[in-house]
Amino acid sequence: MARVTRRGAIKTLGAAAAAAPVFRLKAEAAGRAPGGFRLQAEVPDSSLLAAIAEVVIPAEADRKAAVDAFIRWIREYKEGADTDHGYGNTRVRATGPSPARNYGAQIAALESAARAANAAGFAKAPFEVRRTLVERAIADAKIERLPSRPTGGHVATDLMGHYFASSPASDLCYGVAIGRDQCRGLQGSDKAPAPLPAKAGSHGNAR
Amino acid sequence: MTTYEADICVIGGGISAAMLAQKLAELKPGAAITVVEAGVKIFDFENRAKYRQRSLDYGENAWPEDFIDDQSGAGIISRTMAVGGSALHWGGVTNRFSAEDLTLHSRYGLAADWPLTWDDLERHYCEAERRLGVSGEPGPLPEDRRSEPYPMPPMPLSYNLAVLKQWADKSGIPFQGTPQAKNTQPYDGRSVCLRCNTCEICPTGARYSPDFTFKQLLAAKKITLHDQTLVRRLVASPDRKRIVAARGVSRARSGEEVEYRAPTFVVASGYAWSPHLLLLSEVANSSGLVGTYMTGHAFIGGQIELDATLYPGMNEQHSLISRQYFRCAADAPFVRHDLRVWESSAGRDPRLKDGSGTLLLGDALLADWRQRTKRGAARVRAYYDVHPSADSALTLDPSKKNRWGDSLPAIRHALDAPTQSRAAATRTHIRGVFDLLAKANNGRVLNVSEGNYLDHPSGGCRMGADPATSVCDSYGRTHDHANLFVVGSPTLPTGGCTNATLTFVALTLRSAREIAKG
Repeated sequence: MARVTRRGAIKTLGAAAAAAPVFRLKAEAAGRAPGGFRLQAEVPDSSLLAAIAEVVIPAEADRKAAVDAFIRWIREYKEGADTDHGYGNTRVRATGPSPARNYGAQIAALESAARAANAAGFAKAPFEVRRTLVERAIADAKIERLPSRPTGGHVATDLMGHYFASSPASDLCYGVAIGRDQCRGLQGSDKAPAPLPAKAGSHGNAR
Repeated sequence: MTTYEADICVIGGGISAAMLAQKLAELKPGAAITVVEAGVKIFDFENRAKYRQRSLDYGENAWPEDFIDDQSGAGIISRTMAVGGSALHWGGVTNRFSAEDLTLHSRYGLAADWPLTWDDLERHYCEAERRLGVSGEPGPLPEDRRSEPYPMPPMPLSYNLAVLKQWADKSGIPFQGTPQAKNTQPYDGRSVCLRCNTCEICPTGARYSPDFTFKQLLAAKKITLHDQTLVRRLVASPDRKRIVAARGVSRARSGEEVEYRAPTFVVASGYAWSPHLLLLSEVANSSGLVGTYMTGHAFIGGQIELDATLYPGMNEQHSLISRQYFRCAADAPFVRHDLRVWESSAGRDPRLKDGSGTLLLGDALLADWRQRTKRGAARVRAYYDVHPSADSALTLDPSKKNRWGDSLPAIRHALDAPTQSRAAATRTHIRGVFDLLAKANNGRVLNVSEGNYLDHPSGGCRMGADPATSVCDSYGRTHDHANLFVVGSPTLPTGGCTNATLTFVALTLRSAREIAKG
């Protein structure tokens, strides 16, 4: 019964998405994918995300890889997919609307604020201006915590949270190749992970 | 209505059913063994890596469609209803109980004794470890002696766990790696563990799950498996001495009614759905105890910061265990618990704002994160022994029904008076043990929290020698019906103080020989 209801809800979401004026989303022609409904989201422009990444992703990180992974995450997101359930969870929950539904308006606001600050657009604004605009946007959105997965709260914190929750970010923090989300084999697991290869221009972090 | 005939009809398709079916097929070659499971088969092993990745990236269910929308209940009831049951998701931890669990009443005047000896159970632990494929090492305590070695060498301690063991050993409490149903070498056609850090969905098959056993049995044509078939009632003979049929519906065939006829019926549907079926059927309950003495173990956990360099994420699912506190002197205040230690990053995840509320972005956030992870942290937890009262019950909730009109279960755990009276002392003791661990290496307890439910639930059809105080005998044979057995978790009188799945399996394997007799 609930499954039918969920399907209905997903159809409604799809209809709402098609009508969204700021950020257009199109339902895949194939319809409901097994375990959820994938939307063909128009992800934010990668150069704009790169401009945000310069503000929210550490300089030592591979920012391009972080942006690419975020875009991939958005593209592969499924709405209405059943989520993990464990002991005592009598309700099976489904994933909600794509966080990307919110990004259009947020990006439009960043662009507008950048122009008000005499820049040609957010991506072309000086770093300090972009930083100020991102800080203000996060404050306006009343975001207090870094999301471990994108939530739609704001594209800047979603990009940042997506990166910092990643296995590469964990490696960067500890300065070693833990490879948390990889299948690594048992051999050598009794040894401390190897230091990360030195990156040009970065300082060593191994402990 | 379609009627199926079998020699043995097993209702339920979880880990107990898988082990039982495997052993029955060996004990009774050629017998018609039919396993009936309400949920679906998820046998697409080739997709597991994909499911794992979706689970990591999006939090999606790693076992798609492993539940039935309207087959749920109130209380601690796992939603998983599929071939393999909760052991699709399990972490593979295979600790044994101890002899004290079987003699609580005679040793301590508490709860109830189990109607079997430790030596008898221990033999079946060995069998369970062989069938599941358990890797482990002998424990340091003489009381934990084993009659057979583990089938596989232990999971190597990761660098983090080795550091934590050095730290924990300084407290004087002996620790060892936790035994696990995970392959440290190729075993039973499954590959070696690749340390993927996602044991709840093992992409390599190194962690045991019952789907492997069912697939083997089906390939060898040793059993028949009817999935998507919900058994709704057991039907007793007119004199009520025997069960003559199990009736249900085929979900795959639009609810077509089905009936199973067999000389022997086994309910292997776990702690919730086994007593639920018996209550719905109004069988096996002359004692009035079906659905009572629902049990499990309580727990207290915490985080300890310590002077050690650790790299969280090396193998978060593996842990250390101490069995030091499984035993309690008869003249001392009663407290029994296990003690586990894991690597941990809890409480030191990257954060958006520092302690003063300053927003952290990019480099500043990374610097803050590095600063806060300079010292290592351990997660600690104790499962402790609590005992159910008679009103710790699974009942039928007439206000919640499935699409077939059957009342759904509601579980409300309740602890007996002695357990309640010693609760404060138990908490104090366990917090003291955490403090002892912390102080062993200039550490400090960051936080302590108490679980608000009983983990590894069991009970509801407890075994015993007396038909007036139990539902079934030590083999799971119900006192009321000579050809009806209940196996696994429902039969436990008490829930122990450590992970219970190996005990469910060992008891089931012990029942198999009796079931095979008919």
